[in-house]
Amino acid sequence: MTSLSPAAATPSAPARAGGQAGAGAFFRARRGDSPIKRLVIHLTLTLCCVATIYPLLRVLSVSLRPGDRLLSTSLRIIPPDASFGNYQELLADTDFLLWVWNSLMITVGTAIVGVALASTSAYAFSRWRFPGRNAGLIFLLTTQMIPAAMLMVPLYMLALRNDLIGSYRGLIITYSVTAVPFSIWILKGYYDTIPRELEEAALIDGAGRMATFWRIILPLSTPSLAIVFLFNFTQAWNEYLFARIILGSTKEIWTWTLGLQTLQQQFRTEWGMFSAGAILVTIPVVILFLYSSKYLISGLTLGSVKG
Amino acid sequence: MKPRTMWTVLSLLVVGAIALTGCGQAALPTGPITIQLWHQEGEAENAAQYVQALADAYTAEHPNVTFEVTNPGDTELLRQDFQTAALAGSPPDLLWTVNDHAGPFTTAEIIVPVDDLVDLGQYADSALAAVELNGQHWGVPISNGNHLMLYYNKDLVPTPPADTDELLAMADDLKAQGVTPLVYNQTEPFWLVPWLGGFGGKVFAEDGVTPTLNTPEMVATLAWLKQLKDDGIVPPESDYNGADTLFKEGQAAMIVNGDWTLGAYEELFGDKLGVARIPTVSSTGTPPAPFTSGKFFMVPAGLDEDTQAVVVDFMEFATNQANQLNMVSVLSRLPALKTALADDSITSDPYLAGSADQMVVGSPMPTVVEMRCNWDSMKPEMLAVLAGDKTAEDAAAAMQSAADACLLTLE
Amino acid sequence: MDRLLAQLFPSLTETVGTILFIIVVTALIELIVYLVLGRIFKSRHLLVWMLIAPATVGLAILIVYPLLWEMRLSLTNMSLRRFGDKAQYFWVVCAAGEAPQGLAWLTECLFKNFVDVFRLPVLKQVTFLPVFLRTVAWTGFNVVLHVAGGMGLALLLNRPMRGRGIYRALLILPWAIPQVIAVLAWRGEFHYEYGYFNIILTQLGLAPVEWLSNPLANFGAMVATNVWLGVPFMMVILLGAMQSISGEYYEAAEIDGAGGYQQWRHITLPLIQPVLTPAIVLGTIWTFNNFNVPFFINQNELETSDILVTALFRAAFEYNRYGFAAAFAFVIFVLLLAYVLIYIALTGTLKESTR
Repeated sequence: MTSLSPAAATPSAPARAGGQAGAGAFFRARRGDSPIKRLVIHLTLTLCCVATIYPLLRVLSVSLRPGDRLLSTSLRIIPPDASFGNYQELLADTDFLLWVWNSLMITVGTAIVGVALASTSAYAFSRWRFPGRNAGLIFLLTTQMIPAAMLMVPLYMLALRNDLIGSYRGLIITYSVTAVPFSIWILKGYYDTIPRELEEAALIDGAGRMATFWRIILPLSTPSLAIVFLFNFTQAWNEYLFARIILGSTKEIWTWTLGLQTLQQQFRTEWGMFSAGAILVTIPVVILFLYSSKYLISGLTLGSVKG
Repeated sequence: MKPRTMWTVLSLLVVGAIALTGCGQAALPTGPITIQLWHQEGEAENAAQYVQALADAYTAEHPNVTFEVTNPGDTELLRQDFQTAALAGSPPDLLWTVNDHAGPFTTAEIIVPVDDLVDLGQYADSALAAVELNGQHWGVPISNGNHLMLYYNKDLVPTPPADTDELLAMADDLKAQGVTPLVYNQTEPFWLVPWLGGFGGKVFAEDGVTPTLNTPEMVATLAWLKQLKDDGIVPPESDYNGADTLFKEGQAAMIVNGDWTLGAYEELFGDKLGVARIPTVSSTGTPPAPFTSGKFFMVPAGLDEDTQAVVVDFMEFATNQANQLNMVSVLSRLPALKTALADDSITSDPYLAGSADQMVVGSPMPTVVEMRCNWDSMKPEMLAVLAGDKTAEDAAAAMQSAADACLLTLE
Repeated sequence: MDRLLAQLFPSLTETVGTILFIIVVTALIELIVYLVLGRIFKSRHLLVWMLIAPATVGLAILIVYPLLWEMRLSLTNMSLRRFGDKAQYFWVVCAAGEAPQGLAWLTECLFKNFVDVFRLPVLKQVTFLPVFLRTVAWTGFNVVLHVAGGMGLALLLNRPMRGRGIYRALLILPWAIPQVIAVLAWRGEFHYEYGYFNIILTQLGLAPVEWLSNPLANFGAMVATNVWLGVPFMMVILLGAMQSISGEYYEAAEIDGAGGYQQWRHITLPLIQPVLTPAIVLGTIWTFNNFNVPFFINQNELETSDILVTALFRAAFEYNRYGFAAAFAFVIFVLLLAYVLIYIALTGTLKESTR
């Protein structure tokens, strides 16, 4: 909730229904774009790209620098004495692989549970009018406004009393439930764009409600489900505050956020290893993003676009 | 006296004697028991590994005891987490932490005094003074010090400046060589305190709880720090890492840093490292008095008998002569045990001797919860003076009013 | 390495175990709902309730319960001196002494913490209003720059061009990077001597900036970092929305002689509005409550750089004013809620989605 997590994307109706019929809409005919204009555009975009990757490259360069020299006046990305020493040290001397594995387990668990919870609930919100529906939607929106600091202490006490401390369980439950409101909004928006006729046809044929959900709605919502999966994944992968509270002092199950934190002490940080770890944990998420970027760009309804 | 009575009295005496000797040591439980130990030591200086090694050594002698040793992240996180855990009713079993945690923990009544648990007479007074509150002691000392001192690079500074005038004189030569004369962490008031002592000031009045920040001594201190910056003796902006890097790279001749990096600097510089007192303030003739404290065991409240017995035994084990001397060699920290302090290995080591020499003129860091108000009030004002946004007089006055306001919010 | 291997099997079993546990609990919840609402109340919407039951239970336990707990806490005087069980409700404290009457009773004996949020300093010295205004400024600058940047990039990308995929992929990166790492990387760049910005400035012959000690510079640093983090999200949303606009509109406009700007203003903007508005609402909420950026960029803990949520965190965990912090949290929440509701009402956003 405090992390600026990626939102889901759902293809808007025209693009999906029309396939590439919207292609004409996709690319506004710009026969008139002069070469100069194109050059300027490319330059601008390139500059922006440099701006977006530069901080990451700096982290990379710290990770390649031997010793703990965080600070250096050299602007070179690859330092002259670059080595993978930090990476080796990180992998060999710390429990980094364990942390990443734990993160992976927790994240996959969260994503599965989160998608399951959200897809069913969103279906209810999308297809029915029932007392408390609008209030429920507004409530889901308001949960996004709660500062995380507000929940920390009571959640900790709750977890403690129910023996959820020191195991994956408490964290998986916490992550999936806190990701549910946003996931419901996204999925509901997508479901809204699926014409009811499809289900009605199936119902007339004698299929039950849940069967239509399972066989018709879900397969059609794959892009949106993928986005919700991505959202849950990054929420759980990057999260620190709740992991700290719930996983506590049980080092065997620490996630990478907790693990890298130990490399940062009050007065002294192991910047070399920390940066190496930072690069390593960023890679999976970036790959996931690039892979699903086609879903991301396809459009976002947030429950409001109607064709 | 009739013989029967005499026998009764004698037997009672014997029984009483046995009971009394048995009283001093609670019987250690023999069943399996796990001790949760939280500490705030880092891995960088091998300190976290040292804590684990101590725990393992104890387990080797007492196989039924297993330890779960964790560092919640850093000192501040340890404090927050311990308070939260205590609030939820399940604190860890033992803490290894800094002395100023005693203030908030005793206010919240979540640790217990150790006077009755351990024989405190065997520890150095300076260490004990740092955890004394309301006539009781709230921690068992592990190491002594945690104080700031002057490290210097002998290649650049053959003899360290004895006072501030010498420092200023040296500075010109060093600047001409393209070297920054002095660096320190300019963002934390912990580095301001020694100079305040050098100018004759203290952060608290005699009662130990009333802040005395708006004093001529504080103004002089702030002006001095500003002068260091304006004269180019220290860099314009420097935090801990910046200062550390400059010194390590040989771009700074001297650094004011804590005893916790002694080992790391020793390793890096070898013989080129020098350790000395922070230069005496020439105008007052008083040596700066950094805060001294150390690391302490603290015992959470609400432990059951068995756990407490094991905890007490572990504390005594960890601070016995052999382990204290071992700690000196591994961590280069001054021990808290009196007999260890007098040992040859300390008196003959120039670095440790230098460190001890600085510690002698230090002052125990106050552990009262009001100290937080002092820290929080000093920090922004000190930064403002260094940034040139405020005069020293205004800053000192602002510090005082902030501290006073803070006291009210301590509720 | 051995720890990893030792942990492999237990971790797998635990993850699977958790999922099974949730399945079992869900089945139980569904059973109860079925029996109670289906058989006893014979509700018409049985399927609906069964569909949303697990999520509802989860949210009730993990969000509603803590909120109630915090509400209770906000009515007590819990702090370090009155820790845990020693904290008391204000009305109890009042009843012990001379209780004031009427309105004063409400402000001193019941909702004392809430009133204190506005009258006592929320940090060490600064009071509520400056922090609130700063938060508003923070949110305003960020959202405006996010939308402007996102819109600009989306407009640039919304055309056939070579390398489109690469640009898109690179421009999304800030979104993909774990936020804490990105913020710490940026903070490193604001270092006085070794940070990228000052190095460039000195090479250009300008004076370096004290990013971490100067209040204004620090605020600028915070905004710059958050803009870098937030523009990709806006870009993706706006690009998607733009791509779903039929080209016919633009062709017709061109025939009519409308220029680029007019096309943007009268075609693009209105047609993406149904998507833009919710995005702005979300962006505002997330920025208002953004903790990581202001907290970590403000390394020197300048009080002038704190926004509401970081001040809340400090009040609760650094200054141990637990009861006060709980009330503070509610004030922040209500403020944000009020803003969002008003914004939504004004722009009619929810009408679409709640239809």
